[in-house]
Order: sequence, then structure tokens, then C-alpha cells
Amino acid sequence: MIETVRTVAIVGFILVGLFFTLVSAAGVIRLPDVYSRAHTASQADTLGAGFALAGVALALGFTTTSFKTVLLLFFIFITNPTAAHAIARAADEEGIKPWTTDDDRTDADLYEEAMTDE
Amino acid sequence: MSDNRVLVPLSASSTNRQTIEYVVRTALEGGPATLRLVYVHPPEIQADDQTARGQAVDDLLKRASVWAEEDSKQFEATLTVETAQLGMDKYLFSPSDIAETIARDAIETDTDRVVFDPRYDPGIGAPLLRPLEYELTRFDGFTVEEAPSGRQTRRTPFLARTSLPQIGAIFVISFAFYQILAADPTYWFEIVTGVVSAAIVAIGLSQVTFTRNPTWQTPARLVRHTIYIPYLLKEIIKSNILVAAVILHPKLPIEPRMTRVRPAVWGSLPMTALANSITLTPGTLTVRIDGRTLTVHTLVPAAREGLFAGDLERAIRFVFYGRDAAKITSPEDRGEAELIDSTDEPSSWEGDDGGADK
Repeated sequence: MIETVRTVAIVGFILVGLFFTLVSAAGVIRLPDVYSRAHTASQADTLGAGFALAGVALALGFTTTSFKTVLLLFFIFITNPTAAHAIARAADEEGIKPWTTDDDRTDADLYEEAMTDE
Repeated sequence: MSDNRVLVPLSASSTNRQTIEYVVRTALEGGPATLRLVYVHPPEIQADDQTARGQAVDDLLKRASVWAEEDSKQFEATLTVETAQLGMDKYLFSPSDIAETIARDAIETDTDRVVFDPRYDPGIGAPLLRPLEYELTRFDGFTVEEAPSGRQTRRTPFLARTSLPQIGAIFVISFAFYQILAADPTYWFEIVTGVVSAAIVAIGLSQVTFTRNPTWQTPARLVRHTIYIPYLLKEIIKSNILVAAVILHPKLPIEPRMTRVRPAVWGSLPMTALANSITLTPGTLTVRIDGRTLTVHTLVPAAREGLFAGDLERAIRFVFYGRDAAKITSPEDRGEAELIDSTDEPSSWEGDDGGADK
């Protein structure tokens, strides 16, 4: 009985993790500019990896290895926002203007614009 | 202006004497000169050690002026010495902040040359002379150089002062980490190898890890962190669902805007924690930190409202300063949050707090 509940929980965690990873991938394709893509590329992914790791920890049970997955999660939580920030900051230094609702420029236009400004 | 002006940023350094001598000699060869000695205040001055530090800064500047006057006697041209202290009213966070403060002072006083001591340390954690010189080259109107030191200095980048409590703290952390990685923490072999590796790590890395001693507040902060982490997790999951719904919505109802907030958070560690938490929460992304001002890209209105309501900011204040500090009003009520169109735009609370305008 307990084993069944655990298996269901593990599968549930992995599925939720997969869902958020999928959303993250969809966001990278659908969102309009580099800033909004940086949001989803690293953040939705954090939760995707988080749920997947929670599933792994549960599958391993109460062993030292599952502590290591918690540590992994901790490192993802520190490094992922750092990467997102680095991308956004680099874009800002290139002079790329963020996309807003009232324009219909594409990524290529935004980059082009930043290059001709200089 | 007939005389040439030289600006020298000073810090407590063993080569100050040689630097002053070099500057006075090179400046007076070309006629009368004005020497401006400045001290740039590092961040994180606690209220209680302000007077002691102020005294030390006064002494440093006074000593340097006396040296300069002594050295100028062997030249015919006259030397005027003036001193100044910068950055007392600001929070200088990175080499670029310090470079901007120095550059602004240099431009205001019509300075031609900025000369650094080879061991200049602005006190922001580690000696950062190279990045500082690089940042200063972005400004026009003066030249930047490094004074040659009399004796061959051994360059020791990234090494700050260390102390026993710092070494002890690193030892405890690395020992605990080793035991987590070890298969069986009760086995004597793991304990012995753990002690040896933790000792090597503590001694080897103590100079690059912490810049301040742990205080009695540190354990309290750690305890408050354990309350903060579940709170942050809840926030992350909540806004993740929100953003996921927006991304999967067929019409993609996003309204991205760049915003700027000035959170009531001081110090590099609380600021880093806040910026990291903001980025970790989907819908908000920290693009830039200038002093206390955060430039944040927001994806949806709901995330923007959350940012302006300052919930995370309040939680960070709770972690680092205790429950009383959590009561400060939201950035929106303080008038320290705004929407911007371009990151070059000056902020409405600008005053003298850095920024691209001038």
C-alpha cells in the first residue's frame, strides 16, 4: 500500500517537473524578446528541475544520496538566477530595448536597432 | 587653468608614501600644481564604528598632506594640497560605483590626472584596482595611471585580511559539507579525513571567502533563513503557476515593462539575497544593480504589483535585521518604485544617488 502511494507520488513529481520544463521551453519559443525569454529559460526551469529532483529524492528514500539531491537543488537555486541576470545584464549593456505591448518588432529588429545606435 | 590638478584616491596602504612622492615629483615638474587627496568610503559602515573610522580617515588624509608638503619643498613650483571624503552619503557597491564617484569628483574639480596607489583598496571586499582602472577609462577629461611603487610589490589579488573566527566558520561549513557527501558520518575514517580536508580548505580559502567576522547575529539570521526558504518556495510556486498560465494562454497576454525600485535594504549580502530572490521568482528579473537601485524587468502586471508591494523585500529585512525591520512600508508607498522606458533614464528619486544623467 505504502509502496503504491510512494510510486504514485514519484510519478506525480516527475510529471509536474516535466510540465514546468515544457512550459519553459514553450516560453522560450513564444515570448518576444531576450529579456522575457531570460525569465522563462531559467526560472520555470528551476521549478522543473526542483520537482524532478524531489521525485528522485523520494525514489531513493532516506539515504545520504537523497541529501545530495537536496544540495543539488540548493545549487540550482543559486546558479539559475545568476545566469538569468547575466543574460539580461549583457542585453542591457548591448543597448537592447525591452519589447513592450505597443510595438511589433522582432528579436532581429531589436538587435539591429541596438547595433545601428552606436 | 594654469596649474595642473592631480587626484589621488587613498586607502590604508603600505605604499602610500612612495605614491605621494611620485605624484608630487611628476606634478611639480610642469609648474605649480594642485594635489587633491580623496578617501572613498566603503559600504557597510555600521553606525557604531563610524566615529572610529572617521578618525582613522582624518589621520590618513592629514598624514598624506604632510608628506606631500614635505616633498614639495625641494621644487620651486608651489603645491596646493586639498583633501576630500567621498561616498559618505551613498552606498557604493561595485568597482563601477566607486569609479563613478571618483570620476564625478575629478570632472567637478577639473582634474587632468588620476593616479592610483598600486595597492589601492576601496574596501569593497577585495582589492579591485584593475577593474577600477578599467571602469574609469569610460570617462573622458582626465588620464588614469598607477604610481610605480619603489620596491617590487608582490601583487596579491583577491586576498583580503582574515581572522580566526572566519577560519573557524569555514572549517565548520566544509566539515559539515564533507560529512553530507560522505557515505557514513559515524565511521572514524570519514571523521579524520573530514577534519584534514576541512582544515586545508579553511586555511587555504579563508582569505577569499568572508570579508567580515561572524557575529552573534549570524545564528539568528540562519534560523530566520529557515523560515524564509519555505516562504520563498511558496512564492516561486505561486508565480510559476501564474507565468505558466500566461505562457500557455493562446493570446500570450504579457505586458513586459522595465521597472526600477529602491528597496530599503542595505549591505552587499542582503542586497544579493534580494536580487537573487527577485530573479528566482518568475515574472521578475533583476537586470542591474546600481548602488541601492535595482532595475527589474517584469513580465506580467501581477508580478509587477508583487514587486512594488515589496513582500520579498520585507522578508529579506526580516531575515537580516529582525522582525522590527519588516514593518517599513512598501517601495510604492515610499515613492521608490517606478516604470521606465529605457534603462538610461534617470530615476525620479535620483538626487545624488548615481545614475547615467549628469
